[in-house]
Amino acid sequence: MSLIPGFGMVRGMALTLRRFFEPKVTVRYPEVKPDIPHKFRGRLQLLYDEYGTLKCETCFQCAQACPIECIDMGGIDTKGRFHVHWGAAETYGERRDESALRRSGRPVPDAAYAHFEAADLSALEAILEEHDHDPAHMLQILEATQAAYGYLPVAALKRISQTTGAWYAMIYGTASYYRHLRFEPAADERQAEALSGRRPSEAAFLSGLDTALGGGSDRRGVN
Amino acid sequence: MSRAWGRLTLPGKVVFTLVPLLLVLSVALVIVIAVFGGAMLDILVANVGIVRFLVAVTILLLLAPPSAFIIIYMEMKIIALMNLRLGPDRVGPWGTLLSTVHGLKVLMKEDFTPTGADRIVFTWAPIVVFMASVMGALVIPFAPGLIAQDLNVGLLYFFAVGGLSVVGLLMAGWSSYNKYSLLGGLRSAAQMISYEIPLTLSVVGLLILAGTMSLNTIVENQGPWFTDWYVFQQPLGFVIFFIAATAEANRTPFDLTEADSEIVAGFATEYSGMRFGFFFFAEYINVFIMSALLVTLFLGGWQAPFPFPELHIALDPGSLGIWLLLGIAIVPVVATLVLAAPFYLLRSSTPWWQALIAGFLLFNVLAVGAVLGIAYVNFDFVAGILWFMGKTYAFVFVFVWMRGTLPRIRIDQLMGFAWKWLLPASLVNLFVTAAAIVVVGN
Repeated sequence: MSLIPGFGMVRGMALTLRRFFEPKVTVRYPEVKPDIPHKFRGRLQLLYDEYGTLKCETCFQCAQACPIECIDMGGIDTKGRFHVHWGAAETYGERRDESALRRSGRPVPDAAYAHFEAADLSALEAILEEHDHDPAHMLQILEATQAAYGYLPVAALKRISQTTGAWYAMIYGTASYYRHLRFEPAADERQAEALSGRRPSEAAFLSGLDTALGGGSDRRGVN
Repeated sequence: MSRAWGRLTLPGKVVFTLVPLLLVLSVALVIVIAVFGGAMLDILVANVGIVRFLVAVTILLLLAPPSAFIIIYMEMKIIALMNLRLGPDRVGPWGTLLSTVHGLKVLMKEDFTPTGADRIVFTWAPIVVFMASVMGALVIPFAPGLIAQDLNVGLLYFFAVGGLSVVGLLMAGWSSYNKYSLLGGLRSAAQMISYEIPLTLSVVGLLILAGTMSLNTIVENQGPWFTDWYVFQQPLGFVIFFIAATAEANRTPFDLTEADSEIVAGFATEYSGMRFGFFFFAEYINVFIMSALLVTLFLGGWQAPFPFPELHIALDPGSLGIWLLLGIAIVPVVATLVLAAPFYLLRSSTPWWQALIAGFLLFNVLAVGAVLGIAYVNFDFVAGILWFMGKTYAFVFVFVWMRGTLPRIRIDQLMGFAWKWLLPASLVNLFVTAAAIVVVGN
């Protein structure tokens, strides 16, 4: 067929005529919006400024905002070793402080590489058994855990996430939403008193909660 | 007085200036006609040829920009659709007014002459090109009786005037004082002169068949069935003419004169504003005129492809008397109501005003269709111009289609093709036609 002179031209003309009748790809943007999933944020990419420096300040806001925890960070430590994971998701806030420290030139605590402390999980296992490992009872599980340990250790949260199947971020979100759940051992008495002196009604509320949950009221010593 | 003037808005100032002026002028015109009317009419009748020429040229010049706008819009839209784009869709319905807006924009742009340019030649070049394109339409029969001047050497005149556009392009290229312009101008001279030879020779066989150079007679010969069209007796001539016409109109794949990827814009590089607009219009009018000539010569011009059954609607509007006026008043209302009824009755959710709008639109469509149908049946020139325009714009579509498909060819290929292939082919066509006429004995 290619030996016939002009056959290529005929094929080209046929192609354009077919294209003429095909559906068009243009989207009339302001009037018609393309159908994009509402969590779509475009292509994730690290950008460089005009001097070739990475624009990322390792502020971890992206990782904190990521709804499915797909963003993580890695980097080179002081000994030139590459670490991919910079810690648990709940430590991202600390990473922000760290990055601020690093940019200001002050020494950064080495806690970034320290893993969470192991905890004795036998009490937690009993609590999880009692609630049938049901993620729908997350608040009760967390409250019971706090009653048992005095606070919510990272190891316990990890274990809860493992056995209930709930995302760590969701558990973290639940725990951080409620005022009476905490991630550290309760503050010392003087601070609590100072706080209660300023906000009596909140102190009364918190002491009531602590009494109800059976933890910390003896140490806090609320009047 | 000055305070009253100051209170007028800008349109008000224009209107209040123009109205007295128009009044004075119309009174003067009435007086002039009343006094010298008879003598003027005698002069006009005595010089009917000149009057006819002036009227025809005026009409052609007035119609040239709109037809250029239509073809420019067609080109933008069709190429966009072939590129899987939507093309113009913002200005006017489906973007139809975009090319008009482009024309107005060009009109408002600064129009400068480069330093070192030959001012007189530079100024005249676009006019020559534009007029060469438009004047060709003087001999094209648009419909039976709708021809500016039925010259007995119409085809010769057409080629002569068309050849003038080379002069204009060369003038533009030479006077611009720019190497790209000069390259474009010289390319256009080489290309158009080379392709004029096969263009003219390909028609000679047809002229032998037709026995005349009058385009009107050539069209009248090609009837009443489409098998009488000259394209079936001169297929080779048709192909050669089509290719050469593409080159004559500087269209892709032969658009080397203004190859924008090689020599900026060729001869038009230094032009701006409305002078560039004239080149632009001339190019698209050339497309139209080449299509029109192609249709006139080979595809029966204004002839329908088959003899339309003779229908004469025996309705004399004058015999209706007062009922004509009443009908004009009543028919639209009644027809709108009647046509709106099904919309209202068949679907309970249609509000009455929507039904009325739908009925009115439907009535308009039907009325326009009826008027066109009656005009088609009763007036030969309406049918003729419909067929002529249909065929011509089909070929305009083909030209645009080719522009959307084919890449530009090289200058040596261009010249080689003209001299090594088209010229011998047109000579063969001429000899075969002549031999056939001798053998068959006409």
